[in-house]
Amino acid sequence: MQIPIALAARLPWVATAIRLGLGWVFVAAGWPKFTDPEGTVRSVRAFQLVPETFVRPFAYALPTLELVLAVLLVLGLLTRLAGGATAALMVMFIFGIAMAWGRGLSIDCGCFGATGTTVADPVAGYIKDTLRDSAFLAGALVLVWRPFSRLSLDAMLGLTHPPRATELVPIGAGDL
Amino acid sequence: MTNARTAKTTREKAAELRAQAERQESRRRSMLITAAVAAVILIVVAAVVLVRVASNDQKAKEAALNGPPANLVSGGFLVGNPSAKATIELYEDFQCPVCKAFEAANGAAIKAWVAAGTAKVIYHPVAILDADTKYSTRSASAAAAVVNADPKAFLAFHDLLYTNQPAEGGSGLPDSQLIDYAVQAGLAKATIEPAITAQKFAGWVGLQTDDFSKKGFTGTPTVVVNGKQIGKPQSTPTPEEVKAAVEAAAK
Repeated sequence: MQIPIALAARLPWVATAIRLGLGWVFVAAGWPKFTDPEGTVRSVRAFQLVPETFVRPFAYALPTLELVLAVLLVLGLLTRLAGGATAALMVMFIFGIAMAWGRGLSIDCGCFGATGTTVADPVAGYIKDTLRDSAFLAGALVLVWRPFSRLSLDAMLGLTHPPRATELVPIGAGDL
Repeated sequence: MTNARTAKTTREKAAELRAQAERQESRRRSMLITAAVAAVILIVVAAVVLVRVASNDQKAKEAALNGPPANLVSGGFLVGNPSAKATIELYEDFQCPVCKAFEAANGAAIKAWVAAGTAKVIYHPVAILDADTKYSTRSASAAAAVVNADPKAFLAFHDLLYTNQPAEGGSGLPDSQLIDYAVQAGLAKATIEPAITAQKFAGWVGLQTDDFSKKGFTGTPTVVVNGKQIGKPQSTPTPEEVKAAVEAAAK
């Protein structure tokens, strides 16, 4: 796919911002879940989607994966893979929330750890969570599309490259 | 002229081949690094899952070893006449402010039904607010220790814990305070102190909390009257809702 030169010049910094943003989100979401495994087990169970046998393994694996992705994103290591995994997780979260909403469950998503509190208006929460995760999904897809970013291990190790000249179309910043 | 062009072409070809070899080498290296990092990630996630599943199994074993507290009725703490027609099952967390509000709004009415023999209460302590502090587990375990020693002391202990509920997110009441309240509720210090200090029933509380979640309950207080959860989902039942349910159950 061809991209305008003006965008190509900015994209590596945009990708860096997305990486650090998503990395921070995964720390904020993964750490409380990781340190409260029992609460996470209950949150996963509340969605009534994962069979009981797999509830515990799932609840233990999810925050670990989130923290690992946080490390990859912040370091900028394997950005395309991390972006793809992030996108897959977001699709899964959006699906889970949509299912809870559709089946009329009144649950707190537990996205940033189990709160253990009741929610007065679950639908408002579902809308907010879905919009938020969709924004994260869009960011993750940008990383899959153009993983080259500044301040990244990928660039230092030569794992990603800036777009080649043949991929650029000459549109200036004024045309954007 | 012809010779020079040929020479240049050869040079270009050589450069092209070199560039191609470099690209291949870089691709090979990047695939190697990707595979290595992906393997490390898989190992880390699998290790955490295995360790935590094992530790959970270990906890369940320890809980079984200590056993449930004595004097359980229907898996909880009975207050009232066992033959009362209406059965109120209360799932509460001693750290939960909404439970405290529920107790303040309904405690007197519930005590009156119990005194009149209209209803009995089965208290199920659960620990869902352990995230910041282990107070939920410590207090529920202490309540189990109280019931284990003397079920008649439970209600007074329960009321003391709600009246003096610590702020959420703090470190909770110290064990010495829990022991003091158990003594105020009528127990001998020597009897109750070791069980509270050792959190003898913490494992049992964990199992209770897991059961609570497996029943599909997600918040406290959860109020069940004669097998039916009352109140709108995710909202605390109002005194009117509790009254209506208990009166219907007592008929």
